[in-house]
Parts: sequence; C-alpha cells; structure tokens
Amino acid sequence: MVVFALFVISKAGGLIYNREFHTGMSKLTSNDYLMLAGSFHGMHAITANISPVPPPPHPATATSTSSQTPTTFPVRATGLEVLESSHFRIQCFQTQTGIKFLLFTEPQQPNVDTMIKKIYELYADYVMKNPFYTVEMPIRCEKFDRGLDGFVKVRG
Amino acid sequence: MVLYSFYIFDRHTECIYARRWTPRPTSDSSKAASARPQSGSSITSNGANNTTSNDAVAAPHARKPMSHSDDEKLIFGLVFSLRNLVTKLGGSDDTFLSYRTGEYKLHYYETPTRMKFVMLTDTKVINLRQYLHQIWANLYVEYVVKNPLAPTEHPGGIGVANELFERGLEAFITAVLPA
Repeated sequence: MVVFALFVISKAGGLIYNREFHTGMSKLTSNDYLMLAGSFHGMHAITANISPVPPPPHPATATSTSSQTPTTFPVRATGLEVLESSHFRIQCFQTQTGIKFLLFTEPQQPNVDTMIKKIYELYADYVMKNPFYTVEMPIRCEKFDRGLDGFVKVRG
Repeated sequence: MVLYSFYIFDRHTECIYARRWTPRPTSDSSKAASARPQSGSSITSNGANNTTSNDAVAAPHARKPMSHSDDEKLIFGLVFSLRNLVTKLGGSDDTFLSYRTGEYKLHYYETPTRMKFVMLTDTKVINLRQYLHQIWANLYVEYVVKNPLAPTEHPGGIGVANELFERGLEAFITAVLPA
C-alpha cells in the first residue's frame, strides 16, 4: 500500500503544504502544484453546487425539537470526497473551517478515511498549536513533517 | 441504486444529450441568500441606485436559480478540468474514472473521439465506466452514428435523441442497472 502525497489547501484555495512520500506521480514544478490546488478548490465548490439531491438533514436537528439544544453547523452539500482515476485515488477531507486535506493514494488503498482524520489530528497538534505559525500561511513545522513521516512509514 | 442524470457531450464542449430522472432540487443558494441579513439598505440610501427595480434592491445577492443548461455547462467544465488535473498528476496514460461526494457519485467515460459520457448516481454504486462504454458502443454507435439521416456533428443535440436510441437506453438501464 502506497501513499503518494499530501496537499493541504487553505480556505482561500492556496496550497499551504505539499509533501511527497512516494514517487509515482508526475514531477511538477511548485508553480504547477499551486495552480492545481487553486483549480481543485474551484472544482470542489462546483461539485457541491451541482448536487442533484439536497444534503440529508442533520441527525441532531432531525431528532431534537427542543430549542435548548445548541444550534449545529448548517448542513451543506459536502463537495468532492473521493476522486478515482486509473492510477491513483484522491481522498479529500474538508474541515469545518474550510481547510482541505488531499491525500493521494493507490486506487485500492483501504482506510484512507481514518488516515486523513489522523493527519488532521497531527495538523491540529503540531501546526495549530505552534505559536510561530500564522494561519493561512505555508506550513513549515518540523514536528508536523516528522509526525507525518512516522505515521505514513508505519502504515506503508 | 438511484440514477439522477445522464449526459453526452461532444468534442465541441456542447451537451448533445441529457436525460434526468429526478427534478432539480430547488436551489438552496438563493434561499440562503434571502435568509441572510440584507445589505440592500445601504445601497438604496446612497441614492445612486434608486432607479433600479424593486426586487433587485430587495435581494441584491439572490442569484437566479440555475437552469438545466447551467448545470450542463458546469458539469462539462468540471469533468474537463478534473480530466486535465488527473492527466497532469498521473501522466498521459492516466484516466479520470469517477468522483464521489456525500450526496452523489459522478461516473465518467471518454471515447477516443473525445466524446464524454457522464452519469450521476447515488453514492453506493460501483464504477459504471464499462456500462457507459456499452452505451456508447451498443446504443450511440448503433442508433446515432450509423443512422444515415443523422448529421455528422450534432449541434444542439440534433439527431441524437431519436426513438431507437431513447428506447434502447431505457431498456439498457432497466435491464443492466436494476433499481
């Protein structure tokens, strides 16, 4: 099982982190990566917009009728979650704050869901809790790099 | 298994056949826009926009609900860009197969002549690429390409939605993709 790369796209569509774990994808310049991230951001928005069905109602709001319960996040169409091509598979996870994690894996990779959640945890621990990190800026945190390395190597 | 819609695009970016099995949901983007606090009052107070019609002032952000042709254009642009993204990342022999969101799944098949077959289904469907290929080979080629009366190109979808093709598609879908 192979994990090719990880991208993190900010809520404005900028590429703030890009890491290759395994060769297998085409070599691109960093400009190309920035462009791809930006266009993916737009495509993600379109995929949510062309949904032929309305998003399912939130389970909490559907069951509880009392006004005591705190309001949950509004239910939106999720947008692209998994993209499959003949050579690889892109798993996209969007956080509530709009940051997107893109994980490029082999087509038959199992449990990418849990992997991407774990990467989100690493991000929360080592990037968001880093006092020297400014949000929306490229991520340069050594601990995050090392954490990812350890995590992906153990899996791989 | 639920089918939502099926589209054929020709190599000139035009949608030459569209089939929908469900009505378009009422665009919630326009509803959300009108539910939001309006900033229209500031526009009217400066006097410059007083000549604009009433409802345009009342809902400056409300977008028009999307029509079917808007949907087709969006879907074409989307699969075109996704295909380019995939070939850029995976090399020229890589092909875009499908994507899935929380609500639906889009299946994609492209013929060597750059015709694009797109089908939207619910999320629990396996990849329909081979079925889209069969629709192309057994229905489109048989009933549209081999039809001596149909034009070579299909501007505006002329000659595609003939009776044989429609009926063949209906039969194919009920036989191969049972609900």
